[in-house]
Amino acid sequence: MRAAALRTQVSAAARRPGRLILTGLAVLVVSFVVFGTVLAQQITERTTRDNLSGTPAATDLVIGSPDQPPAVAALSRLRAVPGVAEVVGRTEIGVSLGESYLNLRADPGTGPLSTTRLVEGSYPDAPGEVAVTPRTVERLGLTVGTVTSGFGGERTGPSPLTITGVVATADDAGYDGYAPDAVVSAWAGLRTVSQIDLRLAPGASADTVRQGIAGVLPADPQVRTGAEVRQEEADAAADQVGRLFVLVGLFVAVAVAAAALVVTSTFRIVFAQRMRQLALLRAVGANRGTLVSALTAEGALTGLVAGVVGVAAALAAGYALPAILRASGKAVSSPGLPLAAAVAVVVGAVVLTVLAVLAPAFSAARVSPLEALRAASTTAGRRGIGVARLVAGLLLVVGAALAGAATFSRLPTPEQESYDPRPGMLLLVGSGTLAFFALVALGPLLVRPVLAVLGWPLRQFAPLGRLAVGGIGGAPRRAAAVSVVVALGVTLISAVVIGGASMRVLSDREMALSAPADFEVTASNGSLLPDAVVTRAEAARGALARMAPYRRIDDVTLLRGTDRLGSAESGYPTSDLDLPALPTTEDLDVTQGRLADRGPGRIVLGGWVARETGLRAGDTARLARAGKTVDVRVAAVLPDHGPLHAGILTDRADLDRLGAPKGYSGLLADAARPGEDGRTAGVRALRQAIGGSDGVGLAVLADERDRNDALLDTLLWIAVGLVSLTVLIAVVGVGSTTALSVVERERESGLLRAVGLSRPGLRAMLTAESGLYGVIGATIGLLLGVPYAWLAVQALGVNAPLALPVLPLVGLFAALVVLTALAGVLPARRASRVSPVTALGIDG
Amino acid sequence: MRTHVPAAPETSRAAVAAVDLVKVYGNGDTAVRALDGVSVDFGRAEFTAIMGSSGSGKSTLMHCLAGLDTATSGRVVLGGTELTGRSDRTLTRVRRERIGFVFQSFNLLPQLTAAQNITLPLDLAGRQPDGELLAHLVDVLGLGQRLAHRPSELSGGQQQRVALARALVARPEVVFADEPTGNLDSRSGAEVLAILRDSVRDLGQTVVMVTHDPIAAAYADRVVLLADGRVAGEIDKPNQGSVTDALRDLAAGA
Repeated sequence: MRAAALRTQVSAAARRPGRLILTGLAVLVVSFVVFGTVLAQQITERTTRDNLSGTPAATDLVIGSPDQPPAVAALSRLRAVPGVAEVVGRTEIGVSLGESYLNLRADPGTGPLSTTRLVEGSYPDAPGEVAVTPRTVERLGLTVGTVTSGFGGERTGPSPLTITGVVATADDAGYDGYAPDAVVSAWAGLRTVSQIDLRLAPGASADTVRQGIAGVLPADPQVRTGAEVRQEEADAAADQVGRLFVLVGLFVAVAVAAAALVVTSTFRIVFAQRMRQLALLRAVGANRGTLVSALTAEGALTGLVAGVVGVAAALAAGYALPAILRASGKAVSSPGLPLAAAVAVVVGAVVLTVLAVLAPAFSAARVSPLEALRAASTTAGRRGIGVARLVAGLLLVVGAALAGAATFSRLPTPEQESYDPRPGMLLLVGSGTLAFFALVALGPLLVRPVLAVLGWPLRQFAPLGRLAVGGIGGAPRRAAAVSVVVALGVTLISAVVIGGASMRVLSDREMALSAPADFEVTASNGSLLPDAVVTRAEAARGALARMAPYRRIDDVTLLRGTDRLGSAESGYPTSDLDLPALPTTEDLDVTQGRLADRGPGRIVLGGWVARETGLRAGDTARLARAGKTVDVRVAAVLPDHGPLHAGILTDRADLDRLGAPKGYSGLLADAARPGEDGRTAGVRALRQAIGGSDGVGLAVLADERDRNDALLDTLLWIAVGLVSLTVLIAVVGVGSTTALSVVERERESGLLRAVGLSRPGLRAMLTAESGLYGVIGATIGLLLGVPYAWLAVQALGVNAPLALPVLPLVGLFAALVVLTALAGVLPARRASRVSPVTALGIDG
Repeated sequence: MRTHVPAAPETSRAAVAAVDLVKVYGNGDTAVRALDGVSVDFGRAEFTAIMGSSGSGKSTLMHCLAGLDTATSGRVVLGGTELTGRSDRTLTRVRRERIGFVFQSFNLLPQLTAAQNITLPLDLAGRQPDGELLAHLVDVLGLGQRLAHRPSELSGGQQQRVALARALVARPEVVFADEPTGNLDSRSGAEVLAILRDSVRDLGQTVVMVTHDPIAAAYADRVVLLADGRVAGEIDKPNQGSVTDALRDLAAGA
């Protein structure tokens, strides 16, 4: 009997391989994702290793390390050792060029050990000569032939530097210079280099050369092979990749859990459709155990097929993608063939499916044999949930609420000095997990109320809408099972979106302080900008916008009456920076008062000055400098310090009354046009304005802002990509649920067609049902995601604001509804093609 | 025995009529002529039963008459409208607005209440139900206490009465009933048949019923006999005995 029951189930599955794949689609996708992740890690790791721009591949031996720097004198002695073809000293020094900075590296410029390629001019060969990268040309205004002066290394006084050429390199930060080791060490007066790279002559024996090296160097030199050093560098890079993929693994694990839920739900549907057949088996003598094992075997078979297909698909994609990328000129390495991982994924798929199938199998096996004798072909699904499940669900809700409340009570206050975000975050993750399981348990109870609210407009819209809403509401358990997975995905994505938006506001605030404009021109050592520089810069309107020259003095004190406030001995840094002229002022966070209240007789304080002096917004005080005083009122207090590290921001007139010098200390300006071109034009204009003025430097603050923005964007997209895995599984779940429901309700479709529902009407109804899963899931997901994201942002303790990016969230909602509706399009098409006569199954 | 070959159908007067209807399933050697030139008409406000053995083509005839299926050749005319060769859209609208159905297996939508099931075709057509008629039907069918129930909470007889109300409430030109008593016990079956007969008498409804049960056929005003896809005879004012005799003769090849 056992074998017979098994045969019935398995042969049924084998006869309809499409159904098998449909049931296991979520497993297939998750196998693809898991094995795809394994391959992605291999691809990333290999690509990182293969494209590492560290020690060149031609390096045979490496002598010394930054910890054990070899002497410069060793270079010439090593060149004399027989069998040595090339000796290159590596070192890196910072060179000050007036107000800017150049990173000068030793590189031969030609030959296999070179990391640069000359693109213009000639490579340096005499002390005081240097080649720079193309971006450095633009940023620092150093063209071939320019003579500037700088100092660095052991050299303390400025010495001329001539730009002889432009070189292309793997990384170009915009402040990079190169010259041969001898040139660098001679100009900078170096006695040691970081390390020495050796290339052996063809046919030379490494051992002989090592002995030769030992003969010319002081005792016990550190000698490693180039391969060893490269391996170390690669391992360090791979280690980073590995750590990144641990994070990826966490998100993949969530997707696996989502897949388990989806598969459980699909099996429940499939078994419900076979209730009569199972009852018949029971009626003719199969016991419950037999049915459970037969159904579980079917699950295992499904898992096996889905796992193998998923792994194979991932392998195909893993090999095709790098090949395609390479064809388009990107250096991407192919993955290996991780057989053990492949087997593990397939086994994991089988285990996951078997675990997922157990609960449905047990409940299906409980079918009464009497069910076989019932006239109606489908039995109505249960609507409610059992008492045990209700109690468990409520307990989970209580647990989630308690953990959430604990997080809330631990939130840091603005005054709190030290705060460890880890316990709060852990509590929050725990609360979220409990909330999710509560959702799984109580989902069927939530579907109808949520549907009653959300389905209202749809119900008014047309009878079709009413039917679709009724179709979902008629099987609340099914709707809950699939909507919960959608909700999980939406919760994660909305949390990422909200977190990202909050972080962006935070980052904009910080940037508004440290980089209030694209460019800053300053005079060094507290001297004043020559008036000509400001005049010339103001004339360059084509390239520059929003010029804001400012004065800054460091000897202003605050008085109340005649009592000195605060502890600053010499005074507070005070600036008359024209805040309204800077667009970034809008991003500034204000602790007290309003920035708009600023004006003559009003000041804005940095938070630290306010704390030291005990002043609050609305208080009056007296500014004092060199015997002169001005009475002022505090208009606003900023969280920490003001833009450009100002402690006090005053009006221009007040600074005049304090007898501050008329000349400007610096100026801020924005590029008139966006993009790299506009920025280069701005740099050029300011450089011309500075002309030959001594001690006046230019800083491109926008570069810092761009790096910051790019980093934030990248992190956000990676996070969205990772949580999208769960959404993918959710959409697959909606698709397979709709497809299976459509099969089950073929008769219903036939009836609707018979009583006058048109073919497009039926399609629209089924697609709407599918989309409704998305509506329910996305609503629950947002209801959970928004508060959790806010709590998480607060629990991080970075004083980030609560941002609610409405547009992205509405877009997310719409995208989810569209995606889930699309998942129902194919099943709906199939259902609408069936003729009503066939669907009604009336025998003629 | 009053069997006679029918005269040419008077299509204009009939509620629905078939003219030389042929339906072939499959092709080549395996082709089956389910209908082999059927010409018959069904009078207005008349209760007609279509009878025949399994495979006689009675269900196929009904599907073609009701616009559920398309014939291979021949014509179907519903109240002066030609249904032959019409698009699926047109046929769907005809079914929605001019035809009512009662099925052997009730075919109610499980997620809708009895009341919602009754008004389903009207909802689909975007029409308001005639409140008076609806109240009358609910009263006659004894569904007053059951309107808020879902099909799974109703007995077979109650479900079929809901299906009857659904078919009648839109005042269709023709109600097609396909073995409406097939899944019911004899008492519930008798109730359903009485309701169908009363709807013809009281509301002037046209009813065409497919059945193989002589007791059910005896409720009709007229019986059309089908054999091998052809009209094999007709009985006016049938009773159980005359129908049983006719069927026996048919089976004997008379």
